[in-house]
Amino acid sequence: MSGGTSRAAARSGVLLGGGVSTRAPVTVLLAALIFALGAYAPTHFLSEFALRIGAGGLLLGILALSVAFLMSQAGLVALGAASVYGGVGYLFAICLSEWDLSPTAALLFAFVAVVVYSAALGALIVRTNPLAFMMLTLAAGEMISHSVMLEGLRDYTSGADGLVVNFKGAVFGMTSADFANATRFWPIAWSAAWGLGLAAFTVRRSRFGAILRAIRENEERMRFSGFGTYLPRLVAFVFVNAIAGVCGLLHVLNSGFVSPESLGLSVSTNALVAALIGGVAGSTGPIAGGVLFAVAQDQFGAHGFTQLLTGVAIVVFIVLLPRGVVGALLDAVRRSDRRGTG
Amino acid sequence: MIALLIANSLALASLLIMLSSGLALIYGLRDVINFGHGALYMLGAYLGYSIALAGGFWLALLVSPLLLAGLGVAFEYGVLRPLRGRSHIEVALVTLGLGIVLGQALIFVYGGEARGVDAPTALAGSVRLFGLSYPLYRIFLITMGLGSCAALALWLRYSTSGLYVRAVSQDPSVARMMGVNADRLSLLVTSLSAAFAGVAGVLAGPYLSVDPGMDVTMIVNCLIIVVIGGTGSIAGAIVAALLFGFVQVAGSVFLPDLAALAPYVLLFVVLLIAPRGIGRGRAPA
Repeated sequence: MSGGTSRAAARSGVLLGGGVSTRAPVTVLLAALIFALGAYAPTHFLSEFALRIGAGGLLLGILALSVAFLMSQAGLVALGAASVYGGVGYLFAICLSEWDLSPTAALLFAFVAVVVYSAALGALIVRTNPLAFMMLTLAAGEMISHSVMLEGLRDYTSGADGLVVNFKGAVFGMTSADFANATRFWPIAWSAAWGLGLAAFTVRRSRFGAILRAIRENEERMRFSGFGTYLPRLVAFVFVNAIAGVCGLLHVLNSGFVSPESLGLSVSTNALVAALIGGVAGSTGPIAGGVLFAVAQDQFGAHGFTQLLTGVAIVVFIVLLPRGVVGALLDAVRRSDRRGTG
Repeated sequence: MIALLIANSLALASLLIMLSSGLALIYGLRDVINFGHGALYMLGAYLGYSIALAGGFWLALLVSPLLLAGLGVAFEYGVLRPLRGRSHIEVALVTLGLGIVLGQALIFVYGGEARGVDAPTALAGSVRLFGLSYPLYRIFLITMGLGSCAALALWLRYSTSGLYVRAVSQDPSVARMMGVNADRLSLLVTSLSAAFAGVAGVLAGPYLSVDPGMDVTMIVNCLIIVVIGGTGSIAGAIVAALLFGFVQVAGSVFLPDLAALAPYVLLFVVLLIAPRGIGRGRAPA
């Protein structure tokens, strides 16, 4: 009986992310095992096509993670994820084709540029209220998506045609062809999902995460208690955009192509839906949501219903399953746990 | 030249006023920004297109807003009331989702290509005004826009229900304590703003075109206007719509290459100077 209680306590400790638990080393070991298995096992028994869908899902999941983090920790919904995701790809392509940078330098430049952009945008918009923030991110996203279509920038962006990204040499020991290969790309997408998921997890558990949540709950009280409320939200905004930037770079390396569609509102709403499907509270939820979304899109998308289903999914998940699939599963586990120990 | 510029920006602003004042009204009562407003406008435009084909423009201008008002009632009972207890962000996301569904359904029914609507014969030609010739339809559009703007102002200023709407917008809890039935007002305001979206949609047909991207373009423009005007401020929204129309039109005349970015530049300039917008909006509770 006592074994059952301590197990329940340990498990709820793991789930709630509280305190040091005797099960912690086991959990870490288990996670490492899942990570290692997941990185290589699927490349042996899944088809090329399934791997491609899966990796696409992981990338969407990473983008969803960036939306979900800001939503759950800061209470802010960003509708402009696409502008960073697609924008970083455009910058990377332009660095390669116009300025002849080496692939690694181009990656770095593009990443730093979107981080600077998001810091400037964030400085302007994070002090508004959450609804205005949502409207402003939508407007900023549309601005970026209009600007690649400008006649004056046509030489750089090729307007509606998009840009082919084909770099010479290697980045992190991988050539352009390696990135396009689904079997070689899967472990990269898998590791990135884990790495960024862990990064988000660590930030959530830190003092900074606690401050963010406190500001979300009551900004006035936090200011009254002597905390700055502006800088933490700005840092959070830059942090999630850095995640979206990494995601966009992985996407462009994998697909070898950037187009205006990658900047479209539908990319942002897809990420939002993926986050809602999985549940915005943790790191696992959004990433799992991305994979679920990609699988569902593969099943139903052929009929051109993806956007319609996206709209339906937003409504259904917010109204009926606000904690998402992963959140609902965790709730179920917790309930059965409570019943089991009496 | 300047007169033409002002006339054209007034024509654009007329549409924007009808849509963004509707957004601001709903926000004032329910603290919700209706992200599906662009889709309502698109529905109004496509309904207007179909009805105009069957029974002429004037019938469309009458029937489409009535149908939209009915949809507004459904929106109030089906979405806003059941979700009253949820956070405003969640409700806003639900309206975003519903807007996507409505827009996609319209594309599914009408196909992806743009459609043109002819102005009615009575408004087809041009007139000479102050020494320059100007399309009669645009003058009609401006009259409708400024007329609805005036009607709205008179209603808010002089009627009892208008007084109640202002009271709830200013301080919801005190207004409720004084016995104002916010639900009934919200029903009125939601159907009214949906009807205005219908009017704007029908009017947009001969002026712009009826096309699948019109909902997103319009909602983004309206959101910019609402933010510039100070969220929830109706007077602010009207001034911002006029400013927006002018910047958009002037941009396309003087800087055609960069005109697409003009509204965003305006938005960020206003935000730098006045982070809460130019009107006296109310911060959300």
